[in-house]
Amino acid sequence: MHYFALLLGPESADAPDPEAAAAEMAAYEAFHAKAAPAIRGGDALTPSAAGVRITGGPDAPVVTDGPFAESAEVAGGYYVFEAENLDEALALARDIPAAKYGAVEVWPMVHHMPPSQPLADNWIALLLEPADTVLEPGTEEWNELAAQHAQFAADAGVRANGGAPLHPPSTATTVRVRDGEVLLTDGPYVEGAEVANGYHILNVSDRDEAIKVASMIPAKTVELRQLMGISAL
Amino acid sequence: MTNLDGVFRREWGPAVAALARWSGDLTVAEDAVQEAFAEALRTWTRDGVPANAGGWIVTVARNRALDRLRRESARPGKELAAVLDDITARTDRQGVPHRVRDDELRMMFTCAHPALDPQPQLALTLRLISGLTVTEIARALLQSEAAVGQRITRAKNKIRHANIPLRVPPPELLPERTPHVLSCIYSVFTEGYWSTAGPSAIRDELCDEAVRLSAEVCSLMPDVRDGDALASLILLHDSRRSTRVDADGALVPLDEQNRGRWDRARIARGLDRLRHAAGATGPYLPQAVIAATHATAPRWEDTDWATICAAYDRLVAITASPVARANRALAVGFRDGFDAGLAALDDVADDPRLARSNTVASIRADLLRRAGRNAEAHHWYLRALDRAGSDPAQRFLRRRVRECAGGS
Repeated sequence: MHYFALLLGPESADAPDPEAAAAEMAAYEAFHAKAAPAIRGGDALTPSAAGVRITGGPDAPVVTDGPFAESAEVAGGYYVFEAENLDEALALARDIPAAKYGAVEVWPMVHHMPPSQPLADNWIALLLEPADTVLEPGTEEWNELAAQHAQFAADAGVRANGGAPLHPPSTATTVRVRDGEVLLTDGPYVEGAEVANGYHILNVSDRDEAIKVASMIPAKTVELRQLMGISAL
Repeated sequence: MTNLDGVFRREWGPAVAALARWSGDLTVAEDAVQEAFAEALRTWTRDGVPANAGGWIVTVARNRALDRLRRESARPGKELAAVLDDITARTDRQGVPHRVRDDELRMMFTCAHPALDPQPQLALTLRLISGLTVTEIARALLQSEAAVGQRITRAKNKIRHANIPLRVPPPELLPERTPHVLSCIYSVFTEGYWSTAGPSAIRDELCDEAVRLSAEVCSLMPDVRDGDALASLILLHDSRRSTRVDADGALVPLDEQNRGRWDRARIARGLDRLRHAAGATGPYLPQAVIAATHATAPRWEDTDWATICAAYDRLVAITASPVARANRALAVGFRDGFDAGLAALDDVADDPRLARSNTVASIRADLLRRAGRNAEAHHWYLRALDRAGSDPAQRFLRRRVRECAGGS
């Protein structure tokens, strides 16, 4: 089955020290070499200052520029893993460099729609919901919402480049590695905050088009972030 | 009927474990065994208990599960049909489940999976392995039935949707996973033996279950030394269960317990386990050594405090637990004098993790009382009473408050 790994960590305002950046890059390359058979997608995200949040849904979208102050931990990247079971997914997640200084949330996907075109310069639209209003997959309400998302993907045409609905936050597991020790916690990293319950990848030419397309997504809040296009995945 | 209760209690865990392996789903397993028990209640009271009661339960449960899945898959819904195909294939391949021991160990590792929080682990273990009902678990853990039911449902949903495997982990994962199983069993015991709130100091069924589960772990994983240490610790503490509360329902401190009523058979088994535990590296061995030192002292005056202090030093080194450090201070008081004990207690008294418990206040009061400083002891016993404790602990503290008020 497929798992969505969301990489969270502190975001530095300063330009990264070139040496540290090179070491970081090497760490990710080493991870990719090791985990290649299980990685089905993923990329680093550009800083949250370059992202936007869209609230209010397609009828009355309100666009807010990043960064988003409420959390110290910011999404900095993601992977899609295909793994036999949660143990395998957690074994992959613990090797992600971000687990050492931030955290990795591992979410089981309800189903995975792989991208049909290359990911370079795409945007990811993270669908955020208050943790207590997330719908259970398989319920009538959930099926209805899933149909709306399918309609969105159909309307967006080639600009919708895959995505996935995720299982509820109670099925997520947070992985951190501190002093070589793996720490697992039940649920998302930040308790009670808004949680991702799905995402769309958008294949668009620029930020304005990204906002235009993401405004059509049937979700209360969408966090729109540009992919760095560096993972070559 | 009591006879049937015993059979049910014994057969529940293995039957659910067998059905879980066969169906790959905990809810299917739990419901099917529940139905088989209902069927057993009808037929066994009429025809008597069959020779192979466990096999009977598993066979009936399997048939019930198949009936139900067939019924439900006749309706729209591909998921159930897939489950049905899958388990029919497994049945053909494997025949009747027979690897009962493996099944139980598998269930222990699944219920104590570290992707589940300790509280859901505990509730799931008590439900699926021990066979306590949601009502019984809620009563034992002093939580509402709704909360316990929700916790169990949520944990089972996570196991299903996140695909937590129903298996004994592969060898490379065992060293990090086994401690979670032991810790879960330890929680069953501590919830039973050191209840921190409510009318009863001891919840017998949790203590009994912890004794049973820890013995199971030792027999299923004979090379795990920490398992022996845990079983030893549980048996040695549990040997004093009947002397820990007096006729008025107040806790009885160790130096006032009637040692003649300590359960000698449990002590012998605990010491036997302790011999197997040599080399254990976890937090249970030093605690077992402390319990064994008390269990083998003929009188309170004979207690070997040097050995106990050394064991506390190891425990503190392993866990860095402030509770262990506070208890160590008491032992230091008996070894080196009460002033030394009070000084050791001062070193840990400000730990924020102890801020809401009465551990420091009651240990300080005890050291002061033993040092003859009754007025100060009186003050600290009152402070200890301010913090909530179980009713028996409160009764004990009130008794001390009276004694110190009279003596100063």
